[in-house]
Amino acid sequence: MLEQLLIFTRGGLILWTCKELGNALKGSPIDTLIRSCLLEEHSGAASYNYDAAGASYTLKWTFHNELGLVFVAVYQRILHLLYVDDLLAMVKREFSEIYDPKRTVYNDFDETFRQLRREAEARADEFKKSKQMVKPVNNSKKQGQVQKAGFDKGNKKSEGGLAADEDDGDKVKGRKFENGYSNGNRIEIEEPRMTGVVNGKENTSSNISAFDVSKLQKRTKGGKKTDTDVNKGSKADPKKKVEKKKRVWDDAPTETKLDYTDPVDGNGNENIEVVAADQGESKMDIDEIISSDSEDEEDNNVVNDSQPEAKKKGWFSSMFQSIAGKASLEKADLEPALKALKDRLMTKNVAEEIAEKLCESVAASLEGKKLASFTRISSTVQAAMEEALVRILTPRRSIDILRDVHAAKEQRKPYVVVFVGVNGVGKSTNLAKVAYWLLQHNVSVMMAACDTFRSGAVEQLRTHARRLQIPIFEKGYEKDPAIVAKEAIQEATRNGSDVVLVDTAGRMQDNEPLMRALSKLIYLNNPDLVLFVGEALVGNDAVDQLSKFNQKLVDLSSSPTPRLIDGILLTKFDTIDDKVGAALSMVYISGAPVMFVGCGQSYTDLKKLNVKSIVKTLLK
Amino acid sequence: MEVMEQWKDHLEQLKIQLEPWKNQLEQWLHQAIEYLNQIPPIQLYAAVAVLVLTTLLLLSIRLFKRTKSNTIVLTGLSGSGKTVLFYQLRDGSSHHGTVTSMEPNEGTFVLNSESNKKGKIKPVHLVDVPGHSRLQPKLDEFLPQAAGIVFVVDALEFLPNCRLASEYLYDLLTKATVVKKKIPVLICCNKTDKVTAHTKEFIRKQMEKEIEKLRASRSAVSDADISNDFTLGVPGEAFAFTQCRNKVTIAEASGLTGEVAQVEQFIREHVKP
Repeated sequence: MLEQLLIFTRGGLILWTCKELGNALKGSPIDTLIRSCLLEEHSGAASYNYDAAGASYTLKWTFHNELGLVFVAVYQRILHLLYVDDLLAMVKREFSEIYDPKRTVYNDFDETFRQLRREAEARADEFKKSKQMVKPVNNSKKQGQVQKAGFDKGNKKSEGGLAADEDDGDKVKGRKFENGYSNGNRIEIEEPRMTGVVNGKENTSSNISAFDVSKLQKRTKGGKKTDTDVNKGSKADPKKKVEKKKRVWDDAPTETKLDYTDPVDGNGNENIEVVAADQGESKMDIDEIISSDSEDEEDNNVVNDSQPEAKKKGWFSSMFQSIAGKASLEKADLEPALKALKDRLMTKNVAEEIAEKLCESVAASLEGKKLASFTRISSTVQAAMEEALVRILTPRRSIDILRDVHAAKEQRKPYVVVFVGVNGVGKSTNLAKVAYWLLQHNVSVMMAACDTFRSGAVEQLRTHARRLQIPIFEKGYEKDPAIVAKEAIQEATRNGSDVVLVDTAGRMQDNEPLMRALSKLIYLNNPDLVLFVGEALVGNDAVDQLSKFNQKLVDLSSSPTPRLIDGILLTKFDTIDDKVGAALSMVYISGAPVMFVGCGQSYTDLKKLNVKSIVKTLLK
Repeated sequence: MEVMEQWKDHLEQLKIQLEPWKNQLEQWLHQAIEYLNQIPPIQLYAAVAVLVLTTLLLLSIRLFKRTKSNTIVLTGLSGSGKTVLFYQLRDGSSHHGTVTSMEPNEGTFVLNSESNKKGKIKPVHLVDVPGHSRLQPKLDEFLPQAAGIVFVVDALEFLPNCRLASEYLYDLLTKATVVKKKIPVLICCNKTDKVTAHTKEFIRKQMEKEIEKLRASRSAVSDADISNDFTLGVPGEAFAFTQCRNKVTIAEASGLTGEVAQVEQFIREHVKP
């Protein structure tokens, strides 16, 4: 059953809730949704999963940008309600008609809602029945139009149809969805579904339900809005689906046939093998290939879209439009401007995946909005993007380390900072810079040489320690770094050091044994700050590095509440001129703020991130 | 070639047509200059003086109006009850409740408690800025026009949020616009209808202590762009809100039950009816 349906303004006032449903929600799913999804520019996603003690909800939402309204539906995750998207669309349509900014009470909407809901439920039932009787025709045209939301639901339904032993996998997926690694997900999702297809009827029917939804949505959103709405889940997504689906629906899950489905690229062979062997390993590869494919297709689409339009509307009509102000922005209007913006971001070294997601989110926030007079679409889009960028880069938590150090000092324990990162990004060098900065503020610092792997690492740190005149804790090589760190912290507690800076060995994100060691180090010592050191030169790999570091810390940790990366130290910032995109990629993917920026060779070359100038450079 | 010649003809015809217009214009210009010469210079100076004076007057009226703004900004951490307070002041009820704001709420209105009073009352422009840390930069847009700031603190869940709230307040109190214009700040302890809520004296002391600590750490921040423009308090003394250059007061309120008299009083002190 539907747990709750809310209508509220972007300002935060609840205009209408369904009193009949009236169930008290456990926890505060709505606030969590807003804080961790909508405000983080992830509003392009299809649904959000909320977990609290004794409750797990799925939330779906839709915006009415012109009126500044948000519609949110909450339901139990175990139930897979097919009619929610449909119902939200209907509620949106009906409510926007009676909405008046001055009014705050809408009791008369109760009756309308009751009717809408009955309608939606009936339609969902009807489709289910009719589909179960008539065998579905799997023609490719229908598949192509399956929408993102519908597809997600189809997945869920099929999982639900399966036995309970899939439950664990389900949860993992849920978590991953939140993190936004949607591409990785899909690969995983396929497995249960493939087995399902082999196993029997039950799943065929669940697959059908995926079609149900898509059809249902098509029908309800019909009329003039059809083309914009079907494409809502972003142009690229349906295409990704098409590719996958061929593998899933039409073929038996044998590997030879899987190979056959991907004749486009020579690498396909290799990818799929890796997927079969280990899901984590080739995520990046697959991502890139799919997205580049889809981008090509998108390019074509854009050209197709814009050409007839350009023919239709001459110079005069566009001029007239800019003076009069356009009635409301549609997806097709935004497309060219967004494409240009995405390209610009990518030339600034923003990871492609991130640029794509950002543009989707900006599109979601602008669609249906009124264009003011004397503004062009491109400038509107640019302003929206600027706002989004400032929002992303503004730190969510306090980045005042000195304050935290003093707080730790009061509790009479050292403040522990662990520096992690891939090889050669400058962990030790920047550790020394941070030490220098802390020393300047009368904080007693101790270094711990926990890089017991690379030869010369301890000596390098010792040199820094000697130059800065600070104590260093070292145990030579071939020791367990976790133990060394623990001893170092004990030593610091004894001699009254305020801060312990732990240097770790550089490791590639895919190196399982080393990542396990890092996870152990963090679990054992529970540092106050896990600082990811990344170089500003990195492009698409930034996403991979950070997401995998975070993922490995979750997967390989033995504690129920694993630690993630708390902050980012961006190095080599002086070498990149205006290609500052790495900062954005890293912050977006991890949600952690950039705490320091390394910008030179000497000890003094440590700065804080200047959000305004970064945003300006990105949009230049 | 033919085309070119045609064009040339065309142009020449045009020139011929334009000629009388040119002459006419020149005549008018001459007349105007002669007329100016006839007028005595004193009159001319007087006219110019009047023109300059009126523009100056208009400009000064504009500036004068701006300094006496009627904007009150509601700010504070997310979840402290700003939006409820906003609607309580506007409509006298919190309606169906609120969720986390994504955009500022703005409104120009006569306070709900004063709507029954007779006579002309100057409406208040109230802005409720979202408290989510990602949206806090929005505050800067509204500060330059603010006649007063209400900093809302959750008195119920005060201790876990104490550090964050103090940090936010510190940033606010050291902003150039706030210090230079001496914008008064009211620290409003919300949710005091609950039994376990802290008293305003306790909250004041705790926040002063936290700001004292912040003062030490913030002044140490190296050449960062986020560094604050002014330092707070008197060096060598423990920080107290009384040391601020602008007036900082503290009050209690309860958004849900509608006890907002102290906030209204603050607003009316700084936006004269």
